[in-house]
Amino acid sequence: MIQTVNLQKLFSTEEVETTALNGINMDVKDGEFVAIMGPSGCGKSTLLNILGLLDNPSEGEYNFYGTAVARMTERQRAQLRKGSIGFVFQSFNLIDELTVYENVELPLLYLKTPADERKKRVEEALERMSIMHRRNHFPQQLSGGQQQRTAIARAVVAKPKLILADEPTGNLDSKNGEDVMKLLGELNDEGTTIIMVTHSPYDAGFAHRIVNLFDGKVVTENFHV
Amino acid sequence: MFRNYVKVAIRSLLKHKLYSSINVFGLALGMACSLLIGLWVRDELSYNRFLPDAESIHYIRVNFPVNGETVTNSITPGPLQEAIAKDVPEVAAVTKINYGPDYLIKVGEKKGKEKGHYATDDFFGVFDLPAIAGNPKAALRQTNQIIVTRKIAEKFFPSGQALGKTLQLDNKKFYVVGAVLENLPTNSTLQFDWLVNWKEQEQDWMKTWGNNSFYTYVRLKPSTTVTQTEAAMADIYPRFAGKNFETGRPILQPVTDLHLYSDYKNGVSVGGRIEYVRVFSIVALFILLIACVNFMNLATARSANRAKEVGVRKVVGALRSSLVGQFLSESILTSLLAAVLALALVWYVLPTFNTLFTKQLSLNLADPALWLIIAVLVLITGFLSGSYPALFLSSLQPIKILKGRLQFGAGPALFRRVLVVFQFSLSIFLIVGMLAVGKQMNYLRTKNLGLDRENVVYVPLEGEIAQPQKVEAFRHEVMRKPSVASATTTMSLPVNIQASSGDLTWPGKDPNLQTSVSCMFVGGDFTNTMNIKLLEGRDFRVDSPADSTNYLINEAAAKLMSEATPGMKNPVGKEVKFWPGKGRVIGLMKDFHINSLHEPIKPLILCFDYRNTSYLLVKTRAGQTQQAIADLEQLSKEFNPNYPFNYHFLDEEYESLYRSEQQVNTLVNYFGVLAILISCLGLFGLAMFTAEQRTKEIGVRKVLGASIPNIVGLLSKDFLKLVLVAVVLASPLAWWALNTWLGTFAYQTELTWWIFGLAGALSVVIAFLTVSYQSIKAAMVNPMKSLRSE
Repeated sequence: MIQTVNLQKLFSTEEVETTALNGINMDVKDGEFVAIMGPSGCGKSTLLNILGLLDNPSEGEYNFYGTAVARMTERQRAQLRKGSIGFVFQSFNLIDELTVYENVELPLLYLKTPADERKKRVEEALERMSIMHRRNHFPQQLSGGQQQRTAIARAVVAKPKLILADEPTGNLDSKNGEDVMKLLGELNDEGTTIIMVTHSPYDAGFAHRIVNLFDGKVVTENFHV
Repeated sequence: MFRNYVKVAIRSLLKHKLYSSINVFGLALGMACSLLIGLWVRDELSYNRFLPDAESIHYIRVNFPVNGETVTNSITPGPLQEAIAKDVPEVAAVTKINYGPDYLIKVGEKKGKEKGHYATDDFFGVFDLPAIAGNPKAALRQTNQIIVTRKIAEKFFPSGQALGKTLQLDNKKFYVVGAVLENLPTNSTLQFDWLVNWKEQEQDWMKTWGNNSFYTYVRLKPSTTVTQTEAAMADIYPRFAGKNFETGRPILQPVTDLHLYSDYKNGVSVGGRIEYVRVFSIVALFILLIACVNFMNLATARSANRAKEVGVRKVVGALRSSLVGQFLSESILTSLLAAVLALALVWYVLPTFNTLFTKQLSLNLADPALWLIIAVLVLITGFLSGSYPALFLSSLQPIKILKGRLQFGAGPALFRRVLVVFQFSLSIFLIVGMLAVGKQMNYLRTKNLGLDRENVVYVPLEGEIAQPQKVEAFRHEVMRKPSVASATTTMSLPVNIQASSGDLTWPGKDPNLQTSVSCMFVGGDFTNTMNIKLLEGRDFRVDSPADSTNYLINEAAAKLMSEATPGMKNPVGKEVKFWPGKGRVIGLMKDFHINSLHEPIKPLILCFDYRNTSYLLVKTRAGQTQQAIADLEQLSKEFNPNYPFNYHFLDEEYESLYRSEQQVNTLVNYFGVLAILISCLGLFGLAMFTAEQRTKEIGVRKVLGASIPNIVGLLSKDFLKLVLVAVVLASPLAWWALNTWLGTFAYQTELTWWIFGLAGALSVVIAFLTVSYQSIKAAMVNPMKSLRSE
């Protein structure tokens, strides 16, 4: 289970100190689909990065499936992140020098999954995202929708407990955006916890709960049934 | 995982072809240089190591105290070998050999001149050289037998076995081939193709302690040390050599050091060729570093392009260590590619390199040592060039990269600047070296030696024309030719007089004063032919029998005598005593250089003996050298029909005194050019990167009215500043290093400021040309294009 207590994040330069997160208390249950919304600069992505163990909070506690992680080193976070969190980004972030297959395979390589098992799981993920026929193509040879499906395949291939999506439809047309959201919905139906940052009320409609942020604070929470 | 790294590395190399070519080609050039120099160094270090039990073989020199300093004689007197054999139990075997003349060998109609030695019985007790046929030890004891190498055996007896066959040496005595040896390798200081028993040429003067002319070698008994043996040898001179030479102390040098440590100062080894081995090892390292710097620079410059990959890998689970591993394996892969190219390059240039440096180096692919060197080179280059990019890239924070918020701080840019300065400092150092070594070589070539070396042809006297009664007749006939201005005969070549003696005494000389005077036998017309100025007195005269015990001296010898004995203020006309006997100084010559310019002019005494000489030196009339050579050939055929005509130019002999320096000059030239080429390759890549980065800025500036020269200036200025810093840093270092090198010459050119100015100007111009191509290209782009693409 994910739980944050009074999470704070300060960014300071020589001259200015900016409070990006200011006392966030948040619980996310297993299998939940949570959307985080709010205007630009409200701290959505900062929160997502901390939840995704890419960054540490300045203050407060973060409990990640029973482990207190707020004071962990980068190395410890990287170990924990491996295999337990999948990421989906607005700009896909695929490695240009690797094929679709190789991009999806990457997390399993770092998990040292045996070759047979790896092949099976990559193919499953590709089938599932309907991009098997593009397995040997490079990212720049794909449409935006296909790239994002590859990114989702990469996010799910290690069967993580949690998927973090940062505006996953931001760079897609409405048709491809819809497809991606349906995929995320399906994954959630199968039990994967999803936390998604979005600007789109439509996309947020796929979530069970919407958390609205403003100036680094949770202002409202809406539940869908 | 490793396969994944390799895949990404190869695809990334292919995707950025120009950057990759700069990296791979630059590294390959650097590695090829290092490999070539490495092969050369390995060869230099391997001299005499092929000898069985090489560690126990030592060469003997003798230290003498002279005028408060210790002078080391590299050649020894004949009786020393016998004294050691009799008196030093630490020595298992001792031998002496003579200087190794080229003698005519004749078998039937077949003839040719071959180098060989006369050696004492125990030669093979010291040098246990492998025989192909016969028993060399037994053969050398026989005065009617000759030992030859495989080369001679195959040349003169092509149809079969040489053993037991007869050949004629020097057109005189016939010898039976008693043994055949394997050819000596090129990395041997001992070089000969035949050996004959010492007694076959021994003369009375060779049995005196005052005449240093021979090479003595010993093999020490097992478990005997050099110190013990030297201590045991310390009383040989006091006991056997007589009063004049009792201060002599033999010292040992391992034969494995003979090639590289030949210079002695004040009685101890101070180096020699090893200096060049060191210098070129450093040059090799310099060039490799310069190439590695290119790699580091371009990799950090391009890190923005790789940043996204780093971010993604970190997000999907890569630890920093695995990223470091990835980038290092990439740079090792690149250096592996470069190594393959470098091997091809070395293979291609090796024949030329061998010709230039008179070596027989080869790329023996079956030699595990070669692969070891290459593996080490690849790993060092890979780690050296990949370490900074690997550490830098792997430290980037994934969130910043992936959110596009990555701002490269001043660190990498400063690091790149430092590297460029470092790289150009090394290049400028080499350019200054190139100019200064060239200037010194020019100085050596054009320096007035005090004697003529242009238009002087010399003919080695051998066969009939070496007969005492015929030498003068031959010279006389030569002088009658209209193409010949003058001719003389000498025992050694006047540009390199090696023989010296402590024998000179004069009235009033302190009996305890040890002196060392260079000496040479000459025939008639010596000063006239060599155009040496006579300050006082006259030259030797063939028609004056008394001249056989008269002497000519140089100013340095006059100074030596007058400083030691006030009564010898003007030695001309005074009586002195030297080997040939008591006689008068009949002439005083102006000092001329009798050795290479590494050495100061030493006191010289000339003795007159026109019968026993080795060379005929002929001064030709201007423009008639070819005719003079034809005349000499014709006369030589008449006087000496059994010997092939042979001639050389004296200035060639003079130049050969500086063979090492000429090789250094050539090496520095090639490697200097390569260093600047590799540096420019890197600068070109960096300029390209900068131009790419500043596309938008250039567009805006052009829209606001900047001209093309403005833009070119803007882009080039930063790089030129770095090159200027490099000039400032490199100049004092280069000045120090070259001053040290020039210090090895007793006479040297000056390190003038223009050398540094020119080196700086050259590097700035070359750097500007390199950068300006990219700058002009960037400046010519239509600004609308660059701005629209934003």
